[in-house]
Amino acid sequence: MINLFFAAIGILIGIIIGLILPYTYSVSYSLYMSVAILACLDTVFGGVRANLEGKFDLKIFLSGFFGNAILAAILAYIGDKLGVPLYYAAIFTFGGRLFENFASIRRILLSRVKKKKE
Amino acid sequence: MKINRANLAVFSLSIILGIILAVQIKQKVPQMIPVTLKSIENTKNEINTLNKEIEELKVMIQDKEEKIRIYESIVDGDENIVDLLKDELNKNKAVAGFETVKGPGIIVRMEDNMDENAFGQSLDLDLIHDADVLRIINDLRVAGAEAISINEQRVLSISEIKCGGPVIRINGKSVGVPIYIKAIGDPQLLSAAINAPNTYGYALKTIDQIVIETSVEDEIIIPAYSGMFEFKYAKPVKEGD
Repeated sequence: MINLFFAAIGILIGIIIGLILPYTYSVSYSLYMSVAILACLDTVFGGVRANLEGKFDLKIFLSGFFGNAILAAILAYIGDKLGVPLYYAAIFTFGGRLFENFASIRRILLSRVKKKKE
Repeated sequence: MKINRANLAVFSLSIILGIILAVQIKQKVPQMIPVTLKSIENTKNEINTLNKEIEELKVMIQDKEEKIRIYESIVDGDENIVDLLKDELNKNKAVAGFETVKGPGIIVRMEDNMDENAFGQSLDLDLIHDADVLRIINDLRVAGAEAISINEQRVLSISEIKCGGPVIRINGKSVGVPIYIKAIGDPQLLSAAINAPNTYGYALKTIDQIVIETSVEDEIIIPAYSGMFEFKYAKPVKEGD
Protein backbone atom coordinates (compact mmCIF):
# COMPACT_ATOMS: atom_id res chain seq x y z
CA MET A 1 0.00 0.00 0.00
CA ILE A 2 2.74 2.38 1.03
CA ASN A 3 4.47 2.18 -2.34
CA LEU A 4 1.34 3.17 -4.23
CA PHE A 5 0.77 5.88 -1.67
CA PHE A 6 4.23 7.31 -2.33
CA ALA A 7 3.63 7.40 -6.05
CA ALA A 8 0.20 9.01 -5.73
CA ILE A 9 1.39 11.65 -3.27
CA GLY A 10 4.41 12.34 -5.47
CA ILE A 11 2.29 12.87 -8.56
CA LEU A 12 -0.08 15.12 -6.63
CA ILE A 13 2.76 17.25 -5.26
CA GLY A 14 4.28 17.36 -8.72
CA ILE A 15 1.03 18.57 -10.27
CA ILE A 16 0.73 21.30 -7.66
CA ILE A 17 4.33 22.40 -8.24
CA GLY A 18 3.81 22.26 -12.00
CA LEU A 19 0.70 24.40 -11.79
CA ILE A 20 2.49 26.95 -9.64
CA LEU A 21 5.61 27.06 -11.82
CA PRO A 22 5.30 29.57 -14.63
CA TYR A 23 7.23 27.48 -17.16
CA THR A 24 5.62 26.20 -20.34
CA TYR A 25 6.97 24.86 -23.58
CA SER A 26 5.89 25.30 -27.17
CA VAL A 27 2.56 23.70 -28.01
CA SER A 28 4.16 21.99 -31.00
CA TYR A 29 6.02 19.70 -28.59
CA SER A 30 2.89 18.67 -26.73
CA LEU A 31 2.44 15.47 -28.73
CA TYR A 32 5.94 14.29 -27.90
CA MET A 33 5.53 15.28 -24.28
CA SER A 34 2.24 13.45 -23.92
CA VAL A 35 3.84 10.26 -25.22
CA ALA A 36 6.76 10.81 -22.86
CA ILE A 37 4.32 11.26 -19.98
CA LEU A 38 2.77 7.93 -20.82
CA ALA A 39 6.20 6.29 -20.72
CA CYS A 40 6.98 7.92 -17.36
CA LEU A 41 3.64 6.84 -15.96
CA ASP A 42 4.36 3.29 -17.05
CA THR A 43 7.78 3.35 -15.42
CA VAL A 44 6.40 4.66 -12.12
CA PHE A 45 3.80 1.92 -12.06
CA GLY A 46 6.49 -0.58 -12.96
CA GLY A 47 8.60 0.74 -10.09
CA VAL A 48 5.75 0.37 -7.64
CA ARG A 49 5.14 -3.17 -8.84
CA ALA A 50 8.81 -4.15 -8.63
CA ASN A 51 8.93 -2.67 -5.18
CA LEU A 52 5.95 -4.73 -4.09
CA GLU A 53 7.50 -7.84 -5.57
CA GLY A 54 10.79 -7.07 -3.88
CA LYS A 55 12.68 -6.92 -7.14
CA PHE A 56 13.23 -3.16 -7.18
CA ASP A 57 16.48 -2.00 -8.81
CA LEU A 58 17.19 1.71 -8.63
CA LYS A 59 19.33 1.71 -11.78
CA ILE A 60 16.70 -0.06 -13.86
CA PHE A 61 14.06 2.26 -12.49
CA LEU A 62 15.96 5.47 -13.22
CA SER A 63 17.18 4.39 -16.64
CA GLY A 64 13.67 3.18 -17.50
CA PHE A 65 12.08 6.43 -16.44
CA PHE A 66 14.29 8.68 -18.53
CA GLY A 67 15.13 6.21 -21.28
CA ASN A 68 11.53 5.26 -22.01
CA ALA A 69 10.39 8.88 -21.97
CA ILE A 70 13.14 10.02 -24.33
CA LEU A 71 12.69 7.04 -26.63
CA ALA A 72 8.95 7.59 -26.81
CA ALA A 73 9.38 11.27 -27.56
CA ILE A 74 12.00 10.57 -30.23
CA LEU A 75 9.78 7.90 -31.77
CA ALA A 76 6.89 10.35 -31.96
CA TYR A 77 9.18 12.97 -33.47
CA ILE A 78 10.58 10.63 -36.11
CA GLY A 79 7.06 9.44 -36.91
CA ASP A 80 6.01 13.05 -37.42
CA LYS A 81 8.88 13.65 -39.80
CA LEU A 82 8.24 10.45 -41.74
CA GLY A 83 4.49 10.95 -41.87
CA VAL A 84 3.88 7.66 -40.09
CA PRO A 85 2.18 7.86 -36.69
CA LEU A 86 4.94 5.93 -34.91
CA TYR A 87 3.80 7.25 -31.53
CA TYR A 88 1.05 4.65 -31.71
CA ALA A 89 3.78 2.11 -31.00
CA ALA A 90 4.62 3.93 -27.77
CA ILE A 91 0.97 4.38 -26.86
CA PHE A 92 0.13 0.71 -27.34
CA THR A 93 3.24 -0.60 -25.64
CA PHE A 94 3.20 1.67 -22.62
CA GLY A 95 -0.59 1.74 -22.41
CA GLY A 96 -0.71 -2.04 -22.41
CA ARG A 97 2.09 -2.31 -19.89
CA LEU A 98 0.45 0.28 -17.69
CA PHE A 99 -2.61 -1.93 -17.32
CA GLU A 100 -0.47 -5.02 -16.86
CA ASN A 101 1.49 -3.35 -14.08
CA PHE A 102 -1.65 -2.11 -12.45
CA ALA A 103 -3.18 -5.58 -12.62
CA SER A 104 -0.10 -7.04 -10.91
CA ILE A 105 -0.16 -4.35 -8.22
CA ARG A 106 -3.83 -5.00 -7.61
CA ARG A 107 -3.32 -8.77 -7.27
CA ILE A 108 -0.40 -8.38 -4.89
CA LEU A 109 -2.27 -5.92 -2.70
CA LEU A 110 -5.46 -8.01 -2.68
CA SER A 111 -3.58 -11.17 -1.79
CA ARG A 112 -1.88 -9.30 1.06
CA VAL A 113 -5.24 -8.10 2.41
CA LYS A 114 -6.48 -11.68 2.20
CA LYS A 115 -3.47 -12.95 4.11
CA LYS A 116 -3.96 -10.37 6.84
CA LYS A 117 -7.56 -11.43 7.34
CA GLU A 118 -6.53 -15.04 7.65
CA MET B 1 6.09 3.74 7.25
CA LYS B 2 9.48 2.72 6.03
CA ILE B 3 11.31 5.15 3.79
CA ASN B 4 13.88 3.18 1.82
CA ARG B 5 15.71 4.16 -1.33
CA ALA B 6 13.17 2.52 -3.54
CA ASN B 7 10.29 4.48 -2.11
CA LEU B 8 12.29 7.66 -2.25
CA ALA B 9 13.12 7.09 -5.92
CA VAL B 10 9.50 6.36 -6.81
CA PHE B 11 8.43 9.41 -4.84
CA SER B 12 10.90 11.80 -6.46
CA LEU B 13 10.30 10.59 -9.97
CA SER B 14 6.57 10.76 -9.35
CA ILE B 15 7.03 14.42 -8.51
CA ILE B 16 8.86 14.94 -11.81
CA LEU B 17 6.09 13.10 -13.62
CA GLY B 18 3.51 15.25 -11.87
CA ILE B 19 5.29 18.42 -12.89
CA ILE B 20 5.42 17.39 -16.54
CA LEU B 21 1.77 16.35 -16.35
CA ALA B 22 0.70 19.68 -14.88
CA VAL B 23 2.67 21.65 -17.46
CA GLN B 24 1.09 19.57 -20.21
CA ILE B 25 -2.37 20.20 -18.75
CA LYS B 26 -1.62 23.90 -18.61
CA GLN B 27 -0.82 23.92 -22.34
CA LYS B 28 -4.51 23.63 -23.25
CA VAL B 29 -3.57 21.42 -26.18
CA PRO B 30 -5.88 22.05 -29.11
CA GLN B 31 -7.78 19.03 -30.35
CA MET B 32 -5.76 17.28 -33.02
CA ILE B 33 -8.07 16.70 -35.95
CA PRO B 34 -6.81 14.26 -38.54
CA VAL B 35 -6.09 16.04 -41.81
CA THR B 36 -7.51 14.25 -44.80
CA LEU B 37 -6.25 14.61 -48.34
CA LYS B 38 -9.57 16.14 -49.26
CA SER B 39 -9.30 18.90 -46.70
CA ILE B 40 -5.77 19.63 -47.87
CA GLU B 41 -7.10 19.87 -51.41
CA ASN B 42 -9.87 22.20 -50.26
CA THR B 43 -7.47 24.44 -48.42
CA LYS B 44 -5.22 24.51 -51.48
CA ASN B 45 -8.12 25.59 -53.65
CA GLU B 46 -9.05 28.26 -51.14
CA ILE B 47 -5.51 29.60 -51.14
CA ASN B 48 -5.47 29.60 -54.92
CA THR B 49 -8.71 31.57 -55.11
CA LEU B 50 -7.44 34.05 -52.58
CA ASN B 51 -4.20 34.47 -54.50
CA LYS B 52 -6.16 35.07 -57.67
CA GLU B 53 -8.26 37.65 -55.89
CA ILE B 54 -5.13 39.37 -54.65
CA GLU B 55 -3.78 39.44 -58.21
CA GLU B 56 -7.00 40.99 -59.44
CA LEU B 57 -6.93 43.58 -56.71
CA LYS B 58 -3.34 44.44 -57.62
CA VAL B 59 -4.38 44.97 -61.23
CA MET B 60 -7.20 47.16 -59.99
CA ILE B 61 -4.80 49.23 -57.91
CA GLN B 62 -2.62 49.72 -60.96
CA ASP B 63 -5.63 50.76 -62.96
CA LYS B 64 -6.66 53.30 -60.36
CA GLU B 65 -3.14 54.66 -60.11
CA GLU B 66 -3.11 55.10 -63.85
CA LYS B 67 -6.38 57.00 -63.60
CA ILE B 68 -5.02 59.22 -60.87
CA ARG B 69 -2.05 59.97 -63.08
CA ILE B 70 -4.35 60.95 -65.93
CA TYR B 71 -6.40 63.20 -63.66
CA GLU B 72 -3.26 64.84 -62.41
CA SER B 73 -2.13 65.53 -65.94
CA ILE B 74 -5.54 67.07 -66.59
CA VAL B 75 -5.04 69.34 -63.62
CA ASP B 76 -1.69 70.29 -65.06
CA GLY B 77 -3.43 71.11 -68.32
CA ASP B 78 -1.69 68.47 -70.44
CA GLU B 79 -4.83 66.61 -71.49
CA ASN B 80 -8.33 67.60 -72.32
CA ILE B 81 -11.06 66.35 -70.03
CA VAL B 82 -13.61 66.21 -72.87
CA ASP B 83 -11.52 63.68 -74.77
CA LEU B 84 -11.19 61.61 -71.66
CA LEU B 85 -14.90 61.64 -70.96
CA LYS B 86 -15.69 60.71 -74.56
CA ASP B 87 -13.30 57.83 -74.29
CA GLU B 88 -14.97 56.65 -71.14
CA LEU B 89 -18.42 57.03 -72.65
CA ASN B 90 -17.47 54.82 -75.58
CA LYS B 91 -16.01 52.25 -73.28
CA ASN B 92 -19.13 52.22 -71.13
CA LYS B 93 -21.34 51.95 -74.21
CA ALA B 94 -19.40 48.94 -75.39
CA VAL B 95 -19.60 47.29 -72.01
CA ALA B 96 -23.31 48.04 -71.67
CA GLY B 97 -24.08 46.63 -75.10
CA PHE B 98 -25.23 49.82 -76.81
CA GLU B 99 -22.49 49.55 -79.38
CA THR B 100 -21.90 47.09 -82.17
CA VAL B 101 -18.87 44.98 -81.34
CA LYS B 102 -16.73 42.56 -83.30
CA GLY B 103 -14.14 39.98 -82.43
CA PRO B 104 -13.31 36.30 -82.55
CA GLY B 105 -15.91 33.87 -81.28
CA ILE B 106 -18.31 31.14 -82.27
CA ILE B 107 -21.66 30.84 -83.94
CA VAL B 108 -24.00 28.16 -82.60
CA ARG B 109 -26.77 26.99 -84.88
CA MET B 110 -29.68 25.25 -83.18
CA GLU B 111 -32.50 23.51 -84.97
CA ASP B 112 -35.37 21.26 -83.95
CA ASN B 113 -35.05 17.55 -84.37
CA MET B 114 -36.73 16.90 -87.70
CA ASP B 115 -35.99 13.19 -87.73
CA GLU B 116 -38.89 10.80 -88.21
CA ASN B 117 -37.70 8.66 -85.32
CA ALA B 118 -37.96 11.45 -82.88
CA PHE B 119 -36.73 10.93 -79.38
CA GLY B 120 -39.18 9.22 -77.07
CA GLN B 121 -42.89 9.65 -77.32
CA SER B 122 -43.11 13.28 -76.51
CA LEU B 123 -42.85 15.76 -79.32
CA ASP B 124 -41.88 18.32 -76.73
CA LEU B 125 -38.37 16.97 -76.40
CA ASP B 126 -37.60 17.44 -80.09
CA LEU B 127 -38.14 21.17 -80.00
CA ILE B 128 -35.87 23.93 -78.85
CA HIS B 129 -37.27 25.67 -75.85
CA ASP B 130 -36.53 28.95 -74.22
CA ALA B 131 -34.93 27.09 -71.32
CA ASP B 132 -32.52 25.31 -73.68
CA VAL B 133 -31.41 28.60 -75.16
CA LEU B 134 -31.09 30.09 -71.69
CA ARG B 135 -28.85 27.31 -70.50
CA ILE B 136 -26.72 27.41 -73.62
CA ILE B 137 -26.27 31.13 -73.12
CA ASN B 138 -25.41 30.63 -69.49
CA ASP B 139 -22.78 28.06 -70.48
CA LEU B 140 -21.32 30.56 -72.95
CA ARG B 141 -21.20 33.20 -70.24
CA VAL B 142 -19.45 30.79 -67.91
CA ALA B 143 -16.89 30.22 -70.66
CA GLY B 144 -16.23 33.95 -70.72
CA ALA B 145 -18.39 35.22 -73.57
CA GLU B 146 -18.17 39.01 -73.72
CA ALA B 147 -21.05 39.69 -76.08
CA ILE B 148 -23.90 37.42 -77.10
CA SER B 149 -26.64 37.77 -79.65
CA ILE B 150 -29.49 35.50 -80.69
CA ASN B 151 -30.61 35.96 -84.27
CA GLU B 152 -29.16 39.46 -84.26
CA GLN B 153 -30.85 40.34 -80.98
CA ARG B 154 -28.24 41.47 -78.49
CA VAL B 155 -28.57 39.65 -75.18
CA LEU B 156 -28.13 42.05 -72.28
CA SER B 157 -28.65 41.73 -68.58
CA ILE B 158 -32.16 43.09 -69.13
CA SER B 159 -32.98 40.82 -72.07
CA GLU B 160 -35.76 38.34 -71.52
CA ILE B 161 -35.76 34.93 -73.15
CA LYS B 162 -39.28 33.69 -73.08
CA CYS B 163 -41.42 31.04 -74.63
CA GLY B 164 -43.76 32.43 -77.27
CA GLY B 165 -45.48 29.30 -78.47
CA PRO B 166 -43.61 28.04 -81.53
CA VAL B 167 -41.13 30.89 -81.27
CA ILE B 168 -38.93 32.40 -78.60
CA ARG B 169 -39.20 36.03 -77.58
CA ILE B 170 -36.05 37.98 -76.98
CA ASN B 171 -35.95 41.72 -76.31
CA GLY B 172 -39.65 41.77 -77.15
CA LYS B 173 -39.05 40.39 -80.63
CA SER B 174 -39.97 36.95 -81.90
CA VAL B 175 -37.22 34.60 -82.96
CA GLY B 176 -37.79 31.27 -84.67
CA VAL B 177 -35.68 28.32 -85.64
CA PRO B 178 -33.01 28.03 -86.82
CA ILE B 179 -31.52 29.89 -83.92
CA TYR B 180 -28.10 31.43 -84.39
CA ILE B 181 -26.33 32.28 -81.18
CA LYS B 182 -23.26 34.41 -81.68
CA ALA B 183 -20.78 34.87 -78.90
CA ILE B 184 -17.54 36.79 -78.78
CA GLY B 185 -14.84 35.41 -76.54
CA ASP B 186 -12.11 32.79 -76.55
CA PRO B 187 -13.36 30.56 -79.42
CA GLN B 188 -11.88 27.38 -78.00
CA LEU B 189 -13.39 27.89 -74.56
CA LEU B 190 -16.76 28.82 -76.00
CA SER B 191 -16.80 25.86 -78.32
CA ALA B 192 -15.85 23.57 -75.47
CA ALA B 193 -18.70 24.97 -73.38
CA ILE B 194 -21.15 23.67 -76.01
CA ASN B 195 -19.45 20.55 -77.33
CA ALA B 196 -17.56 19.04 -74.43
CA PRO B 197 -19.06 15.89 -72.92
CA ASN B 198 -21.42 16.45 -69.99
CA THR B 199 -22.32 19.96 -71.01
CA TYR B 200 -25.91 20.87 -71.61
CA GLY B 201 -25.30 21.39 -75.31
CA TYR B 202 -23.81 17.92 -75.57
CA ALA B 203 -26.82 16.41 -73.82
CA LEU B 204 -29.22 18.21 -76.14
CA LYS B 205 -27.30 16.97 -79.14
CA THR B 206 -26.81 13.36 -78.13
CA ILE B 207 -29.91 12.62 -76.08
CA ASP B 208 -32.59 14.84 -77.52
CA GLN B 209 -31.04 14.69 -81.00
CA ILE B 210 -31.47 18.41 -81.43
CA VAL B 211 -29.26 19.89 -84.12
CA ILE B 212 -26.50 21.95 -82.58
CA GLU B 213 -23.63 23.03 -84.77
CA THR B 214 -20.84 25.33 -83.74
CA SER B 215 -18.47 27.12 -86.08
CA VAL B 216 -15.46 29.06 -84.94
CA GLU B 217 -15.08 32.43 -86.63
CA ASP B 218 -12.23 34.88 -86.61
CA GLU B 219 -14.51 37.85 -86.77
CA ILE B 220 -18.05 38.03 -85.57
CA ILE B 221 -20.08 41.18 -85.58
CA ILE B 222 -22.61 41.45 -82.80
CA PRO B 223 -25.13 44.25 -83.16
CA ALA B 224 -25.91 46.80 -80.53
CA TYR B 225 -29.03 46.62 -78.41
CA SER B 226 -31.66 48.19 -80.58
CA GLY B 227 -34.32 49.13 -78.07
CA MET B 228 -34.53 52.07 -75.75
CA PHE B 229 -33.92 51.45 -72.14
CA GLU B 230 -34.07 53.49 -69.04
CA PHE B 231 -34.25 52.60 -65.39
CA LYS B 232 -37.61 53.45 -63.97
CA TYR B 233 -37.23 52.10 -60.45
CA ALA B 234 -33.58 51.42 -59.88
CA LYS B 235 -31.69 54.52 -58.86
CA PRO B 236 -27.95 54.59 -58.32
CA VAL B 237 -26.85 54.90 -54.74
CA LYS B 238 -24.39 57.73 -54.43
CA GLU B 239 -21.53 57.47 -52.05
CA GLY B 240 -22.32 59.06 -48.75
CA ASP B 241 -26.05 58.44 -49.05
